[in-house]
Amino acid sequence: MSLVSSAIAMAMAMEDTLEFDCSVYSNNTTTTTSPNEHDYGCNRRNWPPIDNWEALAGHDEFKDLIESMMDDEGLNFNLFPSEVDVVEGGSSNSESANMMAVDDETNNDDCKGLRLVHLLIAAAEALTGVSKSRDLARVILFRLKELVSPTDGTNMERLAAYFTEALQCLLEGTGGVHPKNLIGNRPQRDEQHHQAEVLAAFQLLQEMSPYVKFGHFTANQAILEAVSHDRRVHIVDYDIMEGIQWASLMQALVSRKDGPPAPHLRITAISRGGSGSGRQSIGTVQKTGRRLISFAASIGQPFSFHQCRLDSDETFRPSALKLVRGEALVINCMLHLPHFNHRSPDSVASFLSGAKTLTPRIVTMVEEEVGPIGEGGFVGRFLDTLHHYSALYDSLEAGFPMHSRTRALVERVFLGPRISGSLARIYRARGDDGSNSGGSSGEWLATSGLRAVPISFANHCQAKLLLGLFNDGYRVEELANNKITLGWKSRRLLSASVWTPSDSDLYI
Amino acid sequence: MSATKNMIMEEPEPNPTPDHILDWIEDSVSCFPSFLNDPYNSDDINGYQWWDESQDLIDSSVTSLNTTATATSTTPTYPTIFNHPSPPDSSKKRKASDHPLPKPSQNHHNPRKNQSRRTRHADDGDAAVEEVVAVKKSVGNKKGTNKATGSNGNKEGRWAEQLLNPCAAAISMGNMSRVHHLRYVLHELANDTGDANHRLAFHGLRALAQHLSNASTSSSSVGQTFAYTDARFFQRSLLKFYEVSPWFAFPNNIANSSILQILAEEPDRSQNLHILDIGVSHGVQWPTLLEALSRRPGGPPPLVRMTVIAATVENDQNKETPFSVGPPGENLSSRLLSFAKFMNVNLQINRLDNHPLKSLSAQVINIARDQTLIVCAQFRLHHLNHKSPDERTEFLRLLRSMEPKGVILSENNMECSCKNCGDFATGFSRRVDYLWRFLDSTSSAFKGLEGDDRRLMEGEAAKALTNWGEMNERKEKWCERMRGVGFVGEILGEDAIDGARALLRKYDSNWEMRPEEKDGCVGLWWKGQPVSFCSLWKIKDGYEN
Repeated sequence: MSLVSSAIAMAMAMEDTLEFDCSVYSNNTTTTTSPNEHDYGCNRRNWPPIDNWEALAGHDEFKDLIESMMDDEGLNFNLFPSEVDVVEGGSSNSESANMMAVDDETNNDDCKGLRLVHLLIAAAEALTGVSKSRDLARVILFRLKELVSPTDGTNMERLAAYFTEALQCLLEGTGGVHPKNLIGNRPQRDEQHHQAEVLAAFQLLQEMSPYVKFGHFTANQAILEAVSHDRRVHIVDYDIMEGIQWASLMQALVSRKDGPPAPHLRITAISRGGSGSGRQSIGTVQKTGRRLISFAASIGQPFSFHQCRLDSDETFRPSALKLVRGEALVINCMLHLPHFNHRSPDSVASFLSGAKTLTPRIVTMVEEEVGPIGEGGFVGRFLDTLHHYSALYDSLEAGFPMHSRTRALVERVFLGPRISGSLARIYRARGDDGSNSGGSSGEWLATSGLRAVPISFANHCQAKLLLGLFNDGYRVEELANNKITLGWKSRRLLSASVWTPSDSDLYI
Repeated sequence: MSATKNMIMEEPEPNPTPDHILDWIEDSVSCFPSFLNDPYNSDDINGYQWWDESQDLIDSSVTSLNTTATATSTTPTYPTIFNHPSPPDSSKKRKASDHPLPKPSQNHHNPRKNQSRRTRHADDGDAAVEEVVAVKKSVGNKKGTNKATGSNGNKEGRWAEQLLNPCAAAISMGNMSRVHHLRYVLHELANDTGDANHRLAFHGLRALAQHLSNASTSSSSVGQTFAYTDARFFQRSLLKFYEVSPWFAFPNNIANSSILQILAEEPDRSQNLHILDIGVSHGVQWPTLLEALSRRPGGPPPLVRMTVIAATVENDQNKETPFSVGPPGENLSSRLLSFAKFMNVNLQINRLDNHPLKSLSAQVINIARDQTLIVCAQFRLHHLNHKSPDERTEFLRLLRSMEPKGVILSENNMECSCKNCGDFATGFSRRVDYLWRFLDSTSSAFKGLEGDDRRLMEGEAAKALTNWGEMNERKEKWCERMRGVGFVGEILGEDAIDGARALLRKYDSNWEMRPEEKDGCVGLWWKGQPVSFCSLWKIKDGYEN
């Protein structure tokens, strides 16, 4: 759906504050290529060993893990009766035929997408700025609701539905709270069912797109390279989620050939205390720990698991961390993967600044790429957010063009709430000059005196190889010697970067 | 008018059915409900005697019809005459100090009545009033609150302007991508049905598109307007509009009262009356006047001459003043003459087509010595240039030279939107402001009901957006011009004020009348915003032209 992005591109060009390329987009989703036919800039014959390649090539362990997670929950979740095919590099022939057949409709969709973008921008404008008019915002949102539904229609229509809901929340002053009515008229689902949906959506996201694996593999490869000679490794993970990142790391550690025996791995998961959701969070972390322990045991990886609670205001106290002499300390910070909860910049900053005092071997950072803030204020950031999510939607559609129902699940469970949250934050931050909320954590690390740890050639190649398994619209870019980004077409979506506080130039 | 007051004292009515333009026709009110639903129902239409086809006896631009003297007998020949509803009870409540002016002479006479007909009529009237009251309650508008909040230019709820005005501003600044964006949004929200904002967006978007596509040659894009409609439908729509909105009914009512006021002040009651009609009422205004004249003590003037200055049909419709040009064949003269005959009024109508205002002269309108000349200029003079050259003052000077006994001037009370008074965006926003008041008030008037008649009136009003010759002026400026050429403002009499106030009570409660001391003007306001003003002028004593 290049149309969505190009519609936004046109709209953004109007703003004169943000520039990007819309001409490279094409409607072409029909090429079928295998990774082998591509020249990824890596010479296969001289390919350096990639330690977690097996994990990359075979998904079985992950599927097993996820299935075990589902068993853990005691649920029989059967939303997807048939096994979802992993699409390699594009869609099948029958799908291309379909694409041809709907070509006429594409023009209409194109036009509608443009209309929706204009309406969304106008609604955002009506919510802020000199010509602020709640009446106007209300009537525009009303019109948008007539035009779209979160479960129906093209990518742009579904995306617009979530943006409409998010704007409606801003108008009503309930910004950031994900509207329940989006889910439809179904009765309030119970927590168990919700958990099952989250897992299913996560599994789909894993299979549909490289976003999760890109972050995990790039960080893991950097960790493996940094601790290759250590007997004991301690990883402090800011947001462990379901812990799947560490399953693949363990896999890589035990399968190293000609290397030393697998080191002892200790993982400390940061958990959030406090009341309500805090307890839930601790419970989730405990479950993750149990799964990782049993997974480690099943493959013979020496392993121990700990938790470290943040203070009630989500600040990190380094003294709360139990450190053991002789362990190589790794700080891992995954932010804003599509399925992650949002973490406040203050909390992240306190974690990173505290971690820095512990002189870890490396800091691995994965975070969302945002566009230049510019002078656009709320509307500018709104457009950037719209562009970001439309690229995400487009990439998911290109990956699974025929599975709108499964995509709708991912959108509802992960992306819808994310959109609401994103808009609420930029709405609250309007009037800021950008100094508070504009900078990425990577920039923060650089200005805090951490040094870049170059991303190895092998790691870079691994990322490209990973993308080769998905649609060829994905791009890897090297923005700095320690930072690579994952993008969809011309839009950068995620970045992975590696840092160290140490003065030693061990890795350079 | 004092006669009617007298009548009220005798039988006060809880639900007054005020004097109204339609009431002079037998059965006209009772047939209205079905008429509204089906404007083409010919059975109902036949109730309108005064345009019954069979009465098209005379077809010429200059006609004279002398009614016979026998019609003045005490026996009612035509029941219609006595169907005159009682004007409202407001006069009782007014304190004499409100208008400490010399009252026009009061001549009491006993109105003749047809009691049975009157009762039936009143029933209909009551039903209508109840309906209006119900709407008022549901809307919850209280006149008092509107007065309090409205005067500061309240823009709440007016979202269409939040798109139209920025779009016009972007056009002025040449920011075409902004224009493009706003047109997209307007296109999504514009609708020629629905609430007033959607309608305003619809007409505004069209006007902007027309402007962008080079306005000079785009008369083809003009929508539903008077000139392009069927003559009968046009007349019915106009009547319906008078029924539901005081937009024109109010100034017309005041004009008629003013004419009676001037006549009452004339010492010689046997003089002929000559009315110079430069207006937009298309004749709808006059039956009530004719009726009132017939009821005048001592009878109507021996001859009532009416010189109608029809708006000149321009090649470019975009230059025409809204509401001024009717469809071909809209001439109501013959029906008015028939009606005058009923009323025993000796009426003569001289309709002047193709006479631009600038070319008028005493010779053209054939002024005679032995007559009371009254000029009735309503919503037409703003068509004249007000700057370089100042045609407006020139024309008023011309009127002054005709030495009329009175000049009635009603105009939109709005800022000028011409090119000399501001850039495109400024002018456009003022036009939009004007149209908003029209659409918003019309929305209340039609109680949200759609219909071809409503669309016609709105389409005609929307010409104000595309009509680049349209040049309003504030009331103060008009008054200044009038004084400048030797007129002096005349305070409107108590009857005129009472009648107008009573009339207004029939309509939506957001309408408001604001009399002003200075120059004796009376303003018509909608939701605390000025719409139009009415004023009466006489030649200043001792003023040398």
